[in-house]
Amino acid sequence: MNAEAKRLPIVDVINLRKRYGLVQALKGISFSIGNGEIVGFLGPNGAGKSTTLRILSGIIAADSGEAKVCGVDLAEEEGEVRKHIGFLAENNPLPEDLRVIEYLNFRANLKGLAGSRKRERIRLALDACDLERRISERKIGNLSKGFRQRVGIADALLAEPRLVILDEPTIGLDPRQSAITRKMMERLRGDVSFILSSHILSEVEACCDRMIILSHGQIVAEGTMHDLQKMFINKTVFEIVSSNRRIDLHRAVRQIDQNCELLYDDPVEISKKSRYTFSTTEGEGKAEEILRALVQNELLSISEFQISRPDLETIFLRATKKNWENQDYLGRRKISRPKLLDSPSIHLK
Amino acid sequence: MSGYWHIFRHELFGLFISPATYVASFYFLALLGIGFNFFIEGFARTDWILPPLSSLIVGLTFGAPALVPFLTMRSFAEERRLGTLETLMSAPVDPFALVLGKWSASLIFFILICMLAFCFPLLLWLGFPDQAISLGFNQVEHWVGGFIFLSAFGASFTAVGIFSSSLTKNQMVAGMLTFTLLTLYLAVMAFNFGEYRDFGSPEGLDEFIDICLGSLNQGLSKAQHFAVGIIDVSTVLHQIVLSLLFLTLATLKIERLKH
Repeated sequence: MNAEAKRLPIVDVINLRKRYGLVQALKGISFSIGNGEIVGFLGPNGAGKSTTLRILSGIIAADSGEAKVCGVDLAEEEGEVRKHIGFLAENNPLPEDLRVIEYLNFRANLKGLAGSRKRERIRLALDACDLERRISERKIGNLSKGFRQRVGIADALLAEPRLVILDEPTIGLDPRQSAITRKMMERLRGDVSFILSSHILSEVEACCDRMIILSHGQIVAEGTMHDLQKMFINKTVFEIVSSNRRIDLHRAVRQIDQNCELLYDDPVEISKKSRYTFSTTEGEGKAEEILRALVQNELLSISEFQISRPDLETIFLRATKKNWENQDYLGRRKISRPKLLDSPSIHLK
Repeated sequence: MSGYWHIFRHELFGLFISPATYVASFYFLALLGIGFNFFIEGFARTDWILPPLSSLIVGLTFGAPALVPFLTMRSFAEERRLGTLETLMSAPVDPFALVLGKWSASLIFFILICMLAFCFPLLLWLGFPDQAISLGFNQVEHWVGGFIFLSAFGASFTAVGIFSSSLTKNQMVAGMLTFTLLTLYLAVMAFNFGEYRDFGSPEGLDEFIDICLGSLNQGLSKAQHFAVGIIDVSTVLHQIVLSLLFLTLATLKIERLKH
């Protein structure tokens, strides 16, 4: 797929709002997803992830705003949009008394597949999800959680969708099965766009091109991992393993970067060396400059050097923390009360 | 109407593999068979003026509140409880097609049970042809009239069941609601049985309501016509309107779940 085609949005959401009774689940979110992109949807429980995904798959309607999938407006041609979407719902509800093959047959029929194309698509979906013939003959009610999840994903892939929405696809899966799901997405990368909602941050980090972090119905961060690292972490942290004394090493580092701080040092077992952790506000370039200088310094002995990049968990916590502090349990902005009212005795006087 | 045929087949398959349907159908048919047997044995001593086959029609109609809930209660209530309705709605399926598919499957099953019940007089005819002829079982119009009456009322009964099932996530509640609504419906018909109303000159509001609710309050009286092979078209139309009303209400409820 060329870069031009990839830039064309397959999902275009503008100012989407949804309210459930008193709770404003979505407060006007806007985002777009490119063709063939894998986008991770992150957020704490109740952030509005599932609501957004259910709106995009046409299961529920938004109160206001505009959502286009494959260039088709959801509010106007919902049925048409559903033809382009494969959806795996949260908790993956499946009929217990059907066999896997019967269920996929039924779903393929509903999605308008017929004849040899239907058989071919079912076979491909079963292969993509590593579901053998033996499993496909079993009743869904007798399958383990992992296999049921794979049946749900196979269903989502059936009708050659242009967009696959997976709401918590790896919940309850063992690491091997999670890896199979990731591999499946890797195989389809570029041809199919994926929206992946998950609480397993390492998984999102490993397979998504871009992340959208939601909190209290708002997008609090959006971008690639690199963008998010730049956005939320303004210090570069690096570690040096050395046999030199702390004071000598610190002095050498400070000669290159005056603002570089030594955060902590830990002895490395058996080797009589220490692991020193520094932080700088000057970015990764400065950290690399420090490394070059230290290596060239004959008085110093450097065994290891590593720039530790902040993981998605750190970014996620930082992105959502501020939003959590400012909202009450209904997702409304907290009103800070005047101090006098906090103390009734003073107020009474 | 996209997806109607597939939903219909899926639902019918679901009814055929559900043990609850078989248990309910077995007991229903067994009780009906015993009742029919007693009726035929004592027919000569009764003052029943209609053909004996009509007893089966009345039995099926009044037994419907016990059977229809088992055919319809799972349809939406169970799907909503399990969450599979959400998965179903993510496919390109029209909500009315969904409701219609589920309803037609339960109606077909209801008709199938009626046909099995019709096997009782048929067996009698095969075993004892002379007695069967003396009881009038050789009159085809009695069979056809009874079958149309049961199909028309079966359509509205199952539509009530589908509507009840769309209201709740609990299939027991859906079943009880269906039972209550159908019992009320039959009670109205039973209380109005035999009361003569002249629909010829509808002048006041009462007359107008009478015409509109024709088969609701006069259904049992009309059963007499069907029993002798006279097809009352207005009764059939009333049942079709009633079925469409409840199916539309069920569709609106399913559409409402989106909001």
